[in-house]
Amino acid sequence: MPKKQHQIDASILANTHLQGEYFRLDLNAPEIARDARPGQFIHLQVPDLEHRILRRPFSIFDTDPQSGRLSIVYKTVGEGTFKLSTCVAGQNVNLIGPLGIGFTEPTGNQRSILVAGGFGCAATFLFAKRAAIKPVVLIGGRSSIDILLQDEYKALGCDLRISTDDGTLGHKGLVTDLLKVALKEMPGALVASCGPNPMLKAVGNIDENAEISLEQPMCCGVGACFACVIKLKDDNDDGWRFARSCMEGPVFKAHKVWWD
Amino acid sequence: MANLRVNLAGVSMRNPILTASGTFGYAKEYEHLVSFDNIGGVTVKGVSPFPSHGNPTPRTTEVYGGMLNAIGLQNPGIDKFIAHPDYLPYLRTLDCAVFVNIWGRTIEQYAEVASRLEDEKQGIAALEINISCPNIKEGGIAFGTDTTQAAAVVRAVRKATSLPLVTKLSPNVTKISDFAKAAVDAGSDMVSLINTIPGMAIDIERRTFKIANKTGGFSGPALKPIAIRMVYETRKAVDVPIIGMGGASCAEDVVEFMMAGANAVAIGTAIFSNPNCLAQIPQDLNNWLDKHNVKDVNDIVGVM
Repeated sequence: MPKKQHQIDASILANTHLQGEYFRLDLNAPEIARDARPGQFIHLQVPDLEHRILRRPFSIFDTDPQSGRLSIVYKTVGEGTFKLSTCVAGQNVNLIGPLGIGFTEPTGNQRSILVAGGFGCAATFLFAKRAAIKPVVLIGGRSSIDILLQDEYKALGCDLRISTDDGTLGHKGLVTDLLKVALKEMPGALVASCGPNPMLKAVGNIDENAEISLEQPMCCGVGACFACVIKLKDDNDDGWRFARSCMEGPVFKAHKVWWD
Repeated sequence: MANLRVNLAGVSMRNPILTASGTFGYAKEYEHLVSFDNIGGVTVKGVSPFPSHGNPTPRTTEVYGGMLNAIGLQNPGIDKFIAHPDYLPYLRTLDCAVFVNIWGRTIEQYAEVASRLEDEKQGIAALEINISCPNIKEGGIAFGTDTTQAAAVVRAVRKATSLPLVTKLSPNVTKISDFAKAAVDAGSDMVSLINTIPGMAIDIERRTFKIANKTGGFSGPALKPIAIRMVYETRKAVDVPIIGMGGASCAEDVVEFMMAGANAVAIGTAIFSNPNCLAQIPQDLNNWLDKHNVKDVNDIVGVM
């Protein structure tokens, strides 16, 4: 499959505070918006932060290939994302993308379940948007403040089910509880998931064919530096090998991942 | 339009800009973002006789003005490097000089990789002997911090190949010029410097090391003054071509390295931030030379 990657200056259309520590960034990035597939990511250089030399990877949340809009959702966790949250419309942000191998998309009348932890639901949105049969969407978080994009998923016509650790919204418990129920309702459904690695491991234990989007600290984003490796099962003497998650992933079949 | 062409011990390049080993994979990874016909050459990631997993994760962390890495020379091994279409066969299609970085755990293993590549040398411009990786115990740095050991590695590789040899030097020594001399005396046609400097970063909230290897090589723009000084010292000690590197990210940095004594300059960590710099730097270098009425880039080498 031929890759199409671009390095471009994208102007900010809007940088919107969603809730809590979460923001949504809309960019004018026609080349990337046109080629992006669900589960792929962009590598973003935070402007005016010269002593922080590395780019930050963000899952592509939504695109509008017609207008050239590309959107991400981010959480302020460090100096880079705090700085990003102060950027304003009209400012340019340098992007590389679309990068990585995304989710396998459902074909025909295939049914699907999306399982997201926290703002992992941003990485699965394009999947839902493009699916002919709208998926059942399961979003889990610590508390109601961590549950994002409910209106956006509902607007697509998705069956949205929520869980929180503290019971402030939806089912009190784990999102994987919801997955077990959903899989009983629709056995054989395609499962795609993004969230914290322990959650993804649990998803893989329930459905080994699930596709999970793994997160690792990343430098180059294209497979050149070998920083973001994860262990995959292999037929060598050790039984595993280090695979570059930016290039061979970030989406992997759960049964291929070697968990230490 | 100034002359940008340089000749490094018989390796002719359209301009003095190279990629630094370990920052550019095996070149194919960047094929959609970088035009190889803009740059002088690429140096590929270190190849050993055996496949290597490299170090545990996390392997990198960002620090002020740069980053630390302890990748640990993960590579597919020489068999796959030679045979698989993503490696040497792909590199042979590039319209620029290809430097293959090599390493082993023993002197014999260095010679083994060199000998295998001697049989497959079509499309390879030179070998770069890595005796300076700070992140693996055997091989790499063990050879790079002892002049006798360094010379022994170079001699063994020299016997195994007719290709031009570059020896990549470690900054983790008292006097880098002694190592340059030892490498040249043992048969190295040129030297490249500097490799990264061992560093450490701690997550103070979790009380853990930020990278699993505890220490990692420091690279990035903050490294440049140290690299410039070492290139300058090395220029005074040997008269072979020097490939300078360490924090170079723009044309002005390239000029500075060349004035200090480098004949070519490798771009490393800057590629992660801005792959497009590999197209920009040769252009800006030409503009700088024109603006300063320098007709030939070679004229600024070692002017200090």
